[in-house]
Amino acid sequence: MPEGTTVLAAVRQQGIDIPALCYLDGMEHFTSCMLCLVKDRGRLFPSCSVAAVSGMDIVTEDEEIREARQTGLELLLSEHVGDCEAPCQVACPAHMEIPRMNRLIAAGKWEESLRIVKRDIVLPAVLGRICPAPCEGACHRKTVDEAVSICLLKRFVGDAGTVHPCEVAPSVGKKVAVIGAGPAGLAAAYYLQLRGVEATLFDKAEKAGGQLRTAIPEEVLPREVLDREIEAVLGTGVRFIGNTPVDDQVFNQLKADYDAVVVATGNLDDLTKSYQLAGTPKGLEVNRDTYETSETGIFAIGNVLRSSRLAVRSVGQGKEVAFSVLQYLNEEKISGEPRRFNSRFGKLLQQEFAEYLKESVTGQRNQPAAGGTGFSVEMAIEEAKRCLHCDCRAIDDCKLREWSGFYQASQKRFQTSGRRAMTKHFQNTAIVYEPQKCIKCGICVRLTEKYREKYGLTFVGRGFDVVVGAPFSEPLDQALTETSVEVARACPTGALEVRKKE
Amino acid sequence: MTVDFHIIEQILQEKGREKSALIPILQAIQKTYNYLPEEALRYVGEHTAITPAEIIGVASFYSQFRLQPAGKHMLKVCVGTACHVKGAVQVYDAFRRKFNLKGDQQTDASGTFTIEKVSCLGCCTLAPVVQIDQVTYGHVTTDQVDEILLDFELQKNKKGQKQYRKADGTEIQGEIRIGLGSCCVASGSDEIRQAVEKTVNDAGLRVTLKHVGCVGMCHQVPLVEVVPGKGEPTLYAKVKPEDVKDIVTSHFQSPNLLRRLKNKIFSTVEYIQTDARWEGVQRYELDIREKPVNSFLGKQIPIATEYRGMINPLDIEEYKSRGGFTAMQKALLEMTPDQVTGEVKESGIRGRGGAGFPTGMKWEMVARQPADLKYLICNGDEGDPGAFMDRMLLESYPYRVIEGMVIGAYATGCRKGFFYIRAEYPLAVRRIREALAICLKNNLLGENILGSGFSFDLAIYEGAGAFVCGEETALIASIEGNRGFPRIRPPFPAEKGLWGQPTLVNNTETFAQISYIIREGAGHFNQIGVEKSKGTKVFALAGKVARGGLIEVPMGITIRQVVDEIGGGIANGRKFKAVQIGGPSGGCIPAELADTSIDYESLIRMGAMMGSGGLVVLDDTDCMVDIARYFLSFTQEESCGKCTFCRIGTKRMLDILESLTRGEAQPGDLDELEKLAQWTKKGSLCGLGKTAPNPVLSTLKYFREEYEAHLNGVCPTGKCTHLITYSVNDNCIGCTKCVQKCPVDAIPFTPHEKHTIQTELCIKCDACRLACPVDAIDVR
Repeated sequence: MPEGTTVLAAVRQQGIDIPALCYLDGMEHFTSCMLCLVKDRGRLFPSCSVAAVSGMDIVTEDEEIREARQTGLELLLSEHVGDCEAPCQVACPAHMEIPRMNRLIAAGKWEESLRIVKRDIVLPAVLGRICPAPCEGACHRKTVDEAVSICLLKRFVGDAGTVHPCEVAPSVGKKVAVIGAGPAGLAAAYYLQLRGVEATLFDKAEKAGGQLRTAIPEEVLPREVLDREIEAVLGTGVRFIGNTPVDDQVFNQLKADYDAVVVATGNLDDLTKSYQLAGTPKGLEVNRDTYETSETGIFAIGNVLRSSRLAVRSVGQGKEVAFSVLQYLNEEKISGEPRRFNSRFGKLLQQEFAEYLKESVTGQRNQPAAGGTGFSVEMAIEEAKRCLHCDCRAIDDCKLREWSGFYQASQKRFQTSGRRAMTKHFQNTAIVYEPQKCIKCGICVRLTEKYREKYGLTFVGRGFDVVVGAPFSEPLDQALTETSVEVARACPTGALEVRKKE
Repeated sequence: MTVDFHIIEQILQEKGREKSALIPILQAIQKTYNYLPEEALRYVGEHTAITPAEIIGVASFYSQFRLQPAGKHMLKVCVGTACHVKGAVQVYDAFRRKFNLKGDQQTDASGTFTIEKVSCLGCCTLAPVVQIDQVTYGHVTTDQVDEILLDFELQKNKKGQKQYRKADGTEIQGEIRIGLGSCCVASGSDEIRQAVEKTVNDAGLRVTLKHVGCVGMCHQVPLVEVVPGKGEPTLYAKVKPEDVKDIVTSHFQSPNLLRRLKNKIFSTVEYIQTDARWEGVQRYELDIREKPVNSFLGKQIPIATEYRGMINPLDIEEYKSRGGFTAMQKALLEMTPDQVTGEVKESGIRGRGGAGFPTGMKWEMVARQPADLKYLICNGDEGDPGAFMDRMLLESYPYRVIEGMVIGAYATGCRKGFFYIRAEYPLAVRRIREALAICLKNNLLGENILGSGFSFDLAIYEGAGAFVCGEETALIASIEGNRGFPRIRPPFPAEKGLWGQPTLVNNTETFAQISYIIREGAGHFNQIGVEKSKGTKVFALAGKVARGGLIEVPMGITIRQVVDEIGGGIANGRKFKAVQIGGPSGGCIPAELADTSIDYESLIRMGAMMGSGGLVVLDDTDCMVDIARYFLSFTQEESCGKCTFCRIGTKRMLDILESLTRGEAQPGDLDELEKLAQWTKKGSLCGLGKTAPNPVLSTLKYFREEYEAHLNGVCPTGKCTHLITYSVNDNCIGCTKCVQKCPVDAIPFTPHEKHTIQTELCIKCDACRLACPVDAIDVR
């Protein structure tokens, strides 16, 4: 180790990661975020700013350090105004990436849009007709005027999709039985199959679809729409065995023949009760994160847990259980679909409308012609453009989000006073600046200084009210010229981000 | 405003074009325009090596700088601790109402006055204090707003008045000493000086008129001491200009009868003619006269404040005649640098700036560094709201501080030194500037000092208003022309400080005690005090004591001795509740623990800290939650904003404290407050953040029941305005005095009837209670 190597660098060389938001390789330490705290003989210190010397006895993680980092993150989150995932996505029981779907529609990319949708929702054309759309209730655009017509856009994508957009992984040599071919079962089988698990659907009815086929009128959900999306599921290699009521004897046989069983039998009936799985008269009892039942290797999803009119919830659970089942099959710790941390700030304020509309178009919600037809292409594009891009551009590479999830930080803990109002700055064509997401790590300030930007960025003010901005309130394209993309890439959060296309 | 670029160019030529010149450049621009016009700053960016990012970063960091134009006059309301506990916020609000300011507005519509809060004007004994330009008003109450503004108008017009020459007799009949410390000046000693000069002139007296530094008895300012050639000296306290003539003539006789007569007639005429007897505004209370207060001075041991009240701050001959510069001579001519450091080490003196690092060890560390170029800095950035030791030492004993610095430089091998002085202390800056020039002329500074072969240069660097710059690494960043961001230690400044060179940073008071140690020997110093805390410590005693002021006491004295014996107990017959020691870094020690010894270790054990030496006494009308909130609002504002725990932690603690004072806190909040305080202590980068939670933790420790009362919506002392209501009791005689004083017409005009207060209109400014002659206003 060369002399002067920091404790942080030394520890990272050992393959141990330590959160450090204000630290950038190749630049002098700034000691701002204070998340890299480690201990040497009981004394906490920021590892990014202290040179490693022999004789140190560094502890990189213990209860006190965890609490320090968690508290630090919670303090940062308390003034971090921004949504990671958009509110619609958080509200969607299947957590579909709605804003991304919208942007792809607005760009005329139906295929790609469908691929995004199908990552979470296996039956978009079906749900696009029957879903009560909790997403639209959470839509920020609703505060401005009317929610984006998300459900109909999803229907548009589902209807427009012709080919199956997702690749199926090669077989991993495992078999899973899914009992019940309603929305939950179809989804579970589909996502298992995509991951290389041979999924077989059993249903007492002749055709798959469950209540979608029996409880919904034809004029609401034309059967050809349902059939087409079921075909897409089966097209991935999922086997369907109809006319097969699964009683306790068959159930036991499935347990013997298959590596795992997913119970998706719909509202709890006597047949399912005969499986002898723990539950109440209202439904089976499962682990809420993993859908494990009282019996190892048996999972349960959908209305069998609790009767619900929300098909999208069942579809979502089908997607989620696939994670648990796969973990079970791989003999990993069963934790279900990884849940990521989500920063949220609640409703938009009046003065934020204009900020959010900078990335959108004005105008009321588009209404398709009467008679149950969906959006025309033009109308779909127009409607999709109404989306406000509430999701953060740093959604996949935000260190604050990553570590907040890791240390299970609560954003609410220190929300002891009102939040700041969001602003969005687009004066530079390459990047976006949202100061209220800034954690004042000073990386951008130091980089613009290093690259000798004429104006660059600087700290303005001090204390809690300090902000990072251009001197003399110069526009962003003056502050950041050639360096803007590099500076935005170095931002540990979504405050400065490259203005991506989709 | 149009900017004259010639002026800016001139400033650049004078101050330089390097980054280290940035703060002086900005100060000069602000002096010219009263704010920093953008065109001027852009010009600086284009014509120097300093970037726009650096300019705005620095200009927006220091509270001295304004980026928006200000009114013709600056009206500063001191909200230091002593002023706070005496109602500074109400005074501030009253001025805002007077100027009809809404929201963030700071300047009145006519552009005449800009009002701002300042953290401390260093006149704690006159609290609450308001300063308009250079005129200072003490003991201000909310109903004096109009009178003060009127008085200020009069003061303005007095400028250019004839100055009286000093009498110059061959036969000196005695000496008249007038205190010229900031407190004294603020309380009107300059007018006193003029009156004395006039009297002496008119009467042709043969007396020496002498300006002395701070006597320390700031509770009695302005002070005049008459020392006759024969007989006992008499000290007159709280002197008014019109008293001067009587005082002076009672001691000294005019040389001839005719003159005496003329004098008398003239003064009678004058008496009739002028009505401006300065009664409108109380700049001081009643004119009580007393002999030197033995109990005030008795327990004190002056070392840093040696010969106080006796020597003229700038009279170098007098300083020399009282043993001044002998220590320096001894060190430079008779001792090796190591011997000097050894003596300092043996004396046991520890840093007087608050943390108490052993001074000798620090010197040794710097001396050990092999670098050719080392710097020395005197830390006079006293930002603690409620402390004014540094100011007083710099104003009253400039030579003593300089002497200590030269000795320190010699011991550690520094060739260049800086005085870092708060810009809020203009008098201190002026005195030091003059003292430096005189020292240079006398070969006490500069090349080959006293023929010893040792050379040392000293310069002044004016701080620009940032409490955090009291932290040595932030102070260094500031001299380098940066935002006052502290940085992690190690490396310590002793190894790598100013411009990367080894740097010795000591507090003003530390330097002020060095000459005594060298002159008298370490043994003289370390026999005073207790085991780990040697010598004396200067405190600014203020708050609810009967006698406040600057005191220098031996380490190990108890809090009770200070409060009772020196401070004369609690004023107005109230009950002693607690002392706040160490300002925003310190804590509150309750009256029950008043037998605590004042030394570094004991104070830390109690959850307080020596800090820079503010000692604010609180009585039973002070709300401890409010005190904690007050300090947190200070540290939160002064946090540099660099590290997470301090930047956001102090703000969140303040949020919780504010919700407590509004009665909106939730049951779990006290635990959360305590946890957050502990994490802010542990997780912050520098001393400011690490000690900021102390006021919260110590009050939570000793006064938790008061916090719990606030949880239930009750402020036991009636200080938290959200939790109290004003009402009229049956003592009311219907005199309408309160009606006339109420600024928001919340009391209907009902003469001869019991008044009523309309709670929904009441702003709780306290004006009615102050106006009521029969104590008929209840606060609950």
